[in-house]
Amino acid sequence: MRIPLISIKIDNRTVAHFPGDSLKGEYQIDAVDPDDLRAVELAVLWYTEGKGDEDLGVHSFERRTTDDDPTANLVELQTFDVQLPNSPLSYEGVLIKIRWCVRVRIFLKSGKTYSADSVFQLGNVPDAVAILKSGSGESDHAVAGTEGAVAREET
Amino acid sequence: MTTERGVGAVESACPSSNPFSTRFVRPGAIPYRFENGETIESLVERLAGCNWTASIVGPHGGGKSTLIQSLVPLLQATGRRMVQYQLRDGQRSLPQRLDVERLGEQPMQVIVDGYEQLGFWSRWKLQRDCRKSGAGLLVTSHQPVGLPVLFRTEVTAESLIAIVREQLGSDAELVRDAELAELLQRHCGNAREVLFDLYDRYEAQRGA
Amino acid sequence: MARLLRMYGKKRGNRRTGSQIWGSAGEAAFSLFFLCVGILFLVRLLNSLVIPEWNANQGFVQDRGTVKMTRVGQQPGGSGVRPEILIRYEVDGQPYEAWTYDIHHQNAVPDYSSDPAAVQEVLRQFVVDQEYAIWRDPADPKVVVLVRGYSWWLWLLLLLPTAFILIGGIGLVYTIFHWGKSVEHREATAQLSRRFSAGVSVGARSGYPTVPQDANLTNSPGTRLKYRLPIDISRGWRLLAIVLACLFWNGIVAVFIISAVSSHRSDHPDWWLTLFVLPFAAVGIGLIYYLVREIRIVSGVGPTHVEISDHPLRPGQSYQVLVSQSGRVTLEQFEVSLVCEEMATYQQGTDTRTDRRVVYRQSLIHFEKVDVIPGASFEQQAGLVVPMECMHSFTSEHNEIQWKIVVHVDLSGWPPFDRSFPVVVCPEHQRVGSFANSAHQYQD
Repeated sequence: MRIPLISIKIDNRTVAHFPGDSLKGEYQIDAVDPDDLRAVELAVLWYTEGKGDEDLGVHSFERRTTDDDPTANLVELQTFDVQLPNSPLSYEGVLIKIRWCVRVRIFLKSGKTYSADSVFQLGNVPDAVAILKSGSGESDHAVAGTEGAVAREET
Repeated sequence: MTTERGVGAVESACPSSNPFSTRFVRPGAIPYRFENGETIESLVERLAGCNWTASIVGPHGGGKSTLIQSLVPLLQATGRRMVQYQLRDGQRSLPQRLDVERLGEQPMQVIVDGYEQLGFWSRWKLQRDCRKSGAGLLVTSHQPVGLPVLFRTEVTAESLIAIVREQLGSDAELVRDAELAELLQRHCGNAREVLFDLYDRYEAQRGA
Repeated sequence: MARLLRMYGKKRGNRRTGSQIWGSAGEAAFSLFFLCVGILFLVRLLNSLVIPEWNANQGFVQDRGTVKMTRVGQQPGGSGVRPEILIRYEVDGQPYEAWTYDIHHQNAVPDYSSDPAAVQEVLRQFVVDQEYAIWRDPADPKVVVLVRGYSWWLWLLLLLPTAFILIGGIGLVYTIFHWGKSVEHREATAQLSRRFSAGVSVGARSGYPTVPQDANLTNSPGTRLKYRLPIDISRGWRLLAIVLACLFWNGIVAVFIISAVSSHRSDHPDWWLTLFVLPFAAVGIGLIYYLVREIRIVSGVGPTHVEISDHPLRPGQSYQVLVSQSGRVTLEQFEVSLVCEEMATYQQGTDTRTDRRVVYRQSLIHFEKVDVIPGASFEQQAGLVVPMECMHSFTSEHNEIQWKIVVHVDLSGWPPFDRSFPVVVCPEHQRVGSFANSAHQYQD
């Protein structure tokens, strides 16, 4: 059986976005017979990664199904334009990392599901490192870099 | 319902991801590594031979939960319906009562991770319910609990080294093999503690 | 609270209660047991010792009686002794005779001593056929005493039933309040109360998903700056817990110590009892030491107040912080810092653990060798600049980024301690209005 090909393209993905910006892009499903698709979901969400158990928060969610519109072509190119919220900002900490992504999930009529993510950066918070000992009169915050984490995508 | 990754946009394994983050090392994220020729298939066969009722015994952080997660897909492939319980922090009874009435509809496999947390009466009731309805019972515990022992988990230095090397990929310089063996010994065979330790070490190196 | 139904030894890590209804019932039964034992003990103590002593001192009428005989009374089945004096007296023309000394002579719990010499000394004070003042019960002419007064040890003994009642009563109230609530509900309630005590609400701030609210941080105006910040964990509850533990433990141990000491004083030393009691006494001394330390900190160091010129904080902005410390101690070191700490909760086998890391610290105030004068307070005001582009406060189910002002105090001769005052740092700009919290949990 062929594995579906989910392509997500975010405009200006490698550049940090900011609260209030429009996150624009498009996605498409390939290598799947449209008749085999039951539903497609698009979510803009944040998740945590690190030492703690993962948390997740959905900012924007959209679901298209053949139940709602039997004539809908779920595989064709779809665009999205989502206004980004004020928080949480992307963060590269020590125990906690906060990542934003666009996630597309497809549901086949056979019951299988597939998903793919494309990460983008919200805000420009510098990376954090653990403080080993305090220093009097000086800030101990060490800035390790300003690049947020971004994923590579294949089309 | 399992979700598989579609081909296309890659899993968000960002370059700065710590390979020992919870999402990459939790049970189910790393397959269980057998030694001495043992395989998942042979374990499922042995479980079937025990009438689908047995226990997986091992020390803290020895891979019991990981082995359970590795077994689940094959157990599902045999047509058995899974009912899983993950017991935490002194839970002395199951969070939801086993629905005995529905058990007869389809062969069922009850899995209890952390079985020894259950109180005496909860265990007795669970075993009775499974016996009456023909459901299998697979549990994990640190000591034998009166059920046939399907497998004893143990993390060796070699398997830990293989796991860590696979997680680290190109960052293999983070820790030497000898250090890994020493870490495992220091944590009394608890691979989970070693992985948490390596998380901290990776972060410290990232910040240096 | 101990789970009486638990059949297996505890394992390491934090414990959360498991069984709900049966667990609550078990807790309630445990607390009720303590409460009942405490009440019964208190009632018995009052009935047999306190009230008779009070009556004898307040209600008995004075009269005259003649000593006919004296003897040393022996404790049945024991080695205790007490003075016994036969008194003859008249009430309304009716003659009466009674063996007596003090009010406890009449009690169901008589007071025996292990010191025969002291008893002989008491008896020597009463000469046969001589008249002495007596006090008799106007309601019952047969009840009479030769001496009155209050026993100091009785008041100490009252500590024990008091401790039982407090422990049982508080436990019962707690159990009733949490009856039937799930572990998660209890934890959420506990988190809510912790956060409310810290002034930080669990719900997200409007317009800022995952940024905690600060409603309880800004509802207390400061005396010189705009807001007074609440402290993270009240030391009062901690002190109460230690007091209860100390009372309970030492109350029980005291009974055994008194028995052991009495046995030594009576020339029949009970070495087994003495050896048995020693480790428990050591723990009791440790508890007293800890209690004294806490009292000293609470009373000696006094409260710490932190005021701030505005709230919530924003990256790149400047604020004023006023810290005042009262008490009557010498502070070896006094440091106030702005701290950012990450907290991550994860499953460790069947246990749940929380790891913490400080990722930012800015020292605001630093002093050494500060004498805090009683009646006055040591005050310092300093500027605080929130770093540009820093991470804002964040809270989710298993992860948290918390900003706080930490006052570190180093006392001479005591371990240092910290007092934390949570603050909320919002993201730099609010570019977007309030979002309907579109946080539906997205399940894999």
